[in-house]
Amino acid sequence: MNATAFGGKPQEVITPESLLFDAAERIGRIRDGRMALHIHLSRLQPQNREENKVRIAFRLFEGMVDIFHGQIFLLTSMDIMLICKDARLADLDAIVYKLKALFNKDPLAYSDEIEGQAGFASVYDLSAHYEDFLALCAQLVPEAKKLKANQQAAAQIQELDAKSLVRVLSGIGGSKIASALRRQPCVRITDDNTAEVMFQEFYMSIAELQKELAPDVNLLSNRWLFQHLSQVLDLKVLEALQSAGFQRLPAAYSLNLNMSTVESPMFRRFHASLGNNAGLFVEFQLADIFSNLDTFFRVRDDLKAKGIGTVLDGMNSITLEFLDAELYETDFVKVSWSGDMANDIITADLTNALGPVGFDHVILSRCDSEASIEWGLDRGIRHFQGRYLDSMVAAVTMTHCDKAAACTLNQCNARHAVISGPLRGECGNNEMLDSFPSLRAIR
Amino acid sequence: MQNVPASALTNAALSQENLLIDYLQRLERHRRDRRAVHIHLSQLQPVNRRDNHMRIAAGSFESMVKLLQAQAFTLANADLMVIYKASAQDEVEAAIVRLRYLFSDDPLIVNDGLDRVFCDWYSLDREYEQVIELAQTLLREEQARLRAVQEKAGMEARDSRPKGTAFTPDLLVRTEAALFQADLANLMRRQAVCAVVGQSPPQPVFHELFISIGDMRQVMMPSINVASSPWLFQELTETLDRRVLSLLNKHDDRTLENDISINLNVATILSPQFLTFDDNIKAGARGTIVLELQKVDIFADLGAYLFARDFAHDRGYRICIDGLTYSMLPFVNRERLGADLIKLVWEPSLLEEKDKKTDALRRIGVTRIILCRFDTPSSIEYGHSVGITLFQGRHIEAMLAEESRRRGTARNTRQR
Repeated sequence: MNATAFGGKPQEVITPESLLFDAAERIGRIRDGRMALHIHLSRLQPQNREENKVRIAFRLFEGMVDIFHGQIFLLTSMDIMLICKDARLADLDAIVYKLKALFNKDPLAYSDEIEGQAGFASVYDLSAHYEDFLALCAQLVPEAKKLKANQQAAAQIQELDAKSLVRVLSGIGGSKIASALRRQPCVRITDDNTAEVMFQEFYMSIAELQKELAPDVNLLSNRWLFQHLSQVLDLKVLEALQSAGFQRLPAAYSLNLNMSTVESPMFRRFHASLGNNAGLFVEFQLADIFSNLDTFFRVRDDLKAKGIGTVLDGMNSITLEFLDAELYETDFVKVSWSGDMANDIITADLTNALGPVGFDHVILSRCDSEASIEWGLDRGIRHFQGRYLDSMVAAVTMTHCDKAAACTLNQCNARHAVISGPLRGECGNNEMLDSFPSLRAIR
Repeated sequence: MQNVPASALTNAALSQENLLIDYLQRLERHRRDRRAVHIHLSQLQPVNRRDNHMRIAAGSFESMVKLLQAQAFTLANADLMVIYKASAQDEVEAAIVRLRYLFSDDPLIVNDGLDRVFCDWYSLDREYEQVIELAQTLLREEQARLRAVQEKAGMEARDSRPKGTAFTPDLLVRTEAALFQADLANLMRRQAVCAVVGQSPPQPVFHELFISIGDMRQVMMPSINVASSPWLFQELTETLDRRVLSLLNKHDDRTLENDISINLNVATILSPQFLTFDDNIKAGARGTIVLELQKVDIFADLGAYLFARDFAHDRGYRICIDGLTYSMLPFVNRERLGADLIKLVWEPSLLEEKDKKTDALRRIGVTRIILCRFDTPSSIEYGHSVGITLFQGRHIEAMLAEESRRRGTARNTRQR
């Protein structure tokens, strides 16, 4: 009997967990020689426990445990449970090993323990610890019901398809774009340990945009259609930036754009409007670059000739394993920080991968802790971006701002991030808000 | 399914400049007693360069061509290149005398030998390398010209309205709806990937099954310019993926018992439809199935690719990265990506800096490379010279057809 979280019967009370509990109860009298194997896929990172990946893992699991004639359950939480008889521990280990390999990019699979919990899988010897197992199963039943209720609420959000894209596109208007536009400084740390803002990155907050345009559609659920949408958004961003009421222009702008946008008249107009008053960087995504490598080389060279900086965006420890970032010959390579990068092996891999780029050409983004900055500085990285720095910028701004007495750090932080709307309006000193003062004694 | 006809590429591959290089290469071992004359018709005044003049000029060598004494190439810049057997020297000279007469008023002829040159003569025996170099220069010039034209066209297309209706999400909705009703079976094409070793005829290794995008456009969306939105097109291929999988599920012939390849998106491999497909084929006897992926799809989400790759490998599929040109190879590292095969698109520039390129191809693993999209036998010779033995394309199809015709004839002869 296999129960599955997908496409199950519409009888709401029955969950895979309740079936598991029934099964666990029934084997109470015949517990000798039985084992249970619990695969904790629910502990994977969100992008690794997407429905389709779990479905495949479950399928592989089914194939491997066929020989045990056991019962398997795909639980509501995405965990997998197997109850079987006379399996050798070594066999179960082999199965766990193979399944782990499928998720080998997830910290759950490569670290032995996560926050004190056994990581990827647990084995229960039912002859010895039956009561514990039954208690666990009993505990899972109400948890599943709660999860299911949450999932049903989330199911109200539909995936982006061609039809909903048509609707989204027809709703795009200037004011909605401006209010979903966000900015974040990229900070350069100099030799004397002061820091200054090299550029302000302007980007669309997709969550915000979704709220404004189509709260019932997950805009990121279809890669190709989102890519199409982003081309339209690019032009709107350029338009919005030209009419933004900055009290002080950024020293330099950095924009996430598609190659097609960079070759459009709108981009030429935007660049011309900056004149000599502000620098400009363009950040490129792998998906766009690989849609046409030749176009990328042409666009990159055109930009360089015009004195516009280029950034290879979206690198991380996985992407850098599969490509040589220096071959793209951009001015900067942007690497997203994640906690697992502190791992010795990953640090060594990244050091090797980024060596040819040169660490002074790396921007470490998504820095949310002091540890991330420390890690970067130890590698020789000078450019940083992320929430941790946003707070520092806000803190320094408040020490310089004559209206600071009325504000909290969080308010200052949030107001820095937007370029229009009520948040900005609440700030008593918009000029200060746009000035991004330099920071001292970063380390 | 992502088998977009690379018409510009094909045109370039079929250009007279390419054919000239191909012909010269085949003459390498037969260059004795061969000569060449390069006639600079491009330097005539425009009034003398009209189409009818060019036809007459090329026609002057027709009789020799028919007698297999000479081969004439009308280059894109209007020059004529004639390769001929030494025994036909007199006839060739006579033809050139007629041409001089035809254009006798033109400054090029009037000043020939002073500051102008009407034609250059070469002996292939002694000056073979020089002629090859000349042909390559002519090819490069032609390619540069084509590129400039395309770029200009591209710029015009960007700045003004493109030809055909732009592909919009609205049209995508309609096309996808139509796809679910259409019978795609008759748009399904197959093309063999063959091993060619030495002089022996090609041996099919597997067959690629694909929907002809060109035909599908003709049938379903003739006035739409699909290229105007590559992303919407990419989305359309995912819809096609699902249709192809269901088509293959229904196939009651023996298609799936043979070794085949199909083009899929990574997202499709991770979809329930693929699991169903996998279940269905597991039941019956089946050959090896190669899954062909596009580079943009791989790099758009490497995490998803890695997951799909491991799953596919576990289930016994092989992964092939489709449509790579030489210049892309450093960016798409087969070994690191853990793909089993790559498809390398033929281009004449593979012959330039050949040693360096050969080294690069050997590092990738020549047994992992399928050389594709070529129209002349010299590409196979090139492949062999670097160690490639897997080939696919129209020329291979022609060889297969020729081979089966020959066998048919042989059988018929025996029967008689």
